[in-house]
Amino acid sequence: MPYILIGIGVILLLWFISTYNFFVSSKARIKGAVQEIGNQLKRQAELIPNLEASVKGYLKHESGIFEKLTEARRAIASAVESGNAQKMADAGAKLAAVLPSLTIAVEDNPELKGSDVVGKLMDELRDTADKVMYARRLVIDLTADYNVRRVAMPSSLVANMFKFDELAGLITPSEGKHLKVSEEETKTPKVKI
Amino acid sequence: MVNVYEAQAANKRKSALIMALFILFVSAAVYVISQAMGVYFGYEPGGLGVAGIAFIISGIITFVSYYASDKIVLSISGARPADRKKDFNFYTVVENLSIASGIPKPKLYVIEDTAPNAFATGRDPDHAVVCATTGLLQKLDRTELEGVIAHELSHIKNYDTRLMSIVAVLVGMIALLADMFLRISFRGGRGERRGNQASAIFLLLGIVFAILSPIIARLIQLAVSRRREFLADASSVAITRQPSGLISALEIIAKDHEPLEAANKATAHLYIVNPFKEKGHGAVDWFASLFNTHPPVTERIAALRKMA
Repeated sequence: MPYILIGIGVILLLWFISTYNFFVSSKARIKGAVQEIGNQLKRQAELIPNLEASVKGYLKHESGIFEKLTEARRAIASAVESGNAQKMADAGAKLAAVLPSLTIAVEDNPELKGSDVVGKLMDELRDTADKVMYARRLVIDLTADYNVRRVAMPSSLVANMFKFDELAGLITPSEGKHLKVSEEETKTPKVKI
Repeated sequence: MVNVYEAQAANKRKSALIMALFILFVSAAVYVISQAMGVYFGYEPGGLGVAGIAFIISGIITFVSYYASDKIVLSISGARPADRKKDFNFYTVVENLSIASGIPKPKLYVIEDTAPNAFATGRDPDHAVVCATTGLLQKLDRTELEGVIAHELSHIKNYDTRLMSIVAVLVGMIALLADMFLRISFRGGRGERRGNQASAIFLLLGIVFAILSPIIARLIQLAVSRRREFLADASSVAITRQPSGLISALEIIAKDHEPLEAANKATAHLYIVNPFKEKGHGAVDWFASLFNTHPPVTERIAALRKMA
């Protein structure tokens, strides 16, 4: 009988330690995942000058795009330096907003579209955009995991004992346009060719 | 409608249940066969020593294949290392999804074969290998490739190679044990048998178990394998959030009837879709499906559509 009690005690202790470790290591992992976003954004920002250099000659009339790109790059550089996940995400979004217009400009220009260098650079750009997206996904997943374990029984007992706070992950406004569907959006778009 | 998290959790629960069943069955079979052996050897606990020997032999064989799985499979399949420039989509998609799933980037290999397929192996995420055929890389677009790669990375993240190795050790042990027992009993058993009723029952049970348990153990092993495929599909969607990518990739792979030359029976369970392709319909189908390493593609697609 006492052996059974000791056995149960040991199992409980092991569970307690592993749950505690889950919470602290999750926090550390989320911190690392946020740095990864910065890392990928920086890579993206460094690619752009190359792309600019190789297409600028052909796209002189599109100087507006290049101004916006330079501005987005600056925003990224300062956001990465600050290490703030939210700032990084905002800066990334800014850049992502400019890229489609560049893509269109490149595709409208047959000379550029056919060029190997530009094609490769556009591939790289798409790839980095994916990388930034997946780096954000990791932050979201890790945070969600952490937050679920924090409130779900029985791990919530450990979380309450050590006062592990809810983590925000990527901040998304919980109200606003992105949660509503407008009348326009419910209609199937008609494409005229 | 099932959300991804529930699909993942349900698959994990089911595979834990199968594993529990499996361990229970293995223990029972080992107990019965060693008891029956004890009757031949003339003293009761003797058989357990034989079970130990069977466990060690099977363990050594599997441990080698587990420890060096990446090297063995790659040398059998004749794969070449992937190149970032030549296999841009493959290389970068793996890079990206490794970021998303929080594992180090596995080593990448390409098999020159037009049959579209892919597999992952390696004992843990630090020694993982993902391998794709050139057919797969040519026939799938980036979104579809993401679905397939996320499936393979999920196998790595879920430690499926490790799990299947443990299962293989136990299946091998049962097979060896049963084989030894049958050899002893066919030779007639020289030890003087005590006419005790319990030992007669154990002897009978031992023969039944020795004949049936290798097959049953193998069937449970295959059930574990199929369950892990469903789990990897669900985890793939959890990473990419695009079931459509994996669905259309599975459709393309299933539509292709060309067999993969580099695959053989020993490596078949590793691939995303059974490289020998499924044939046969009707009543035989259900029975044949018990012996498959992979669930039918149609069933996998149906499960994925529920998540979409």
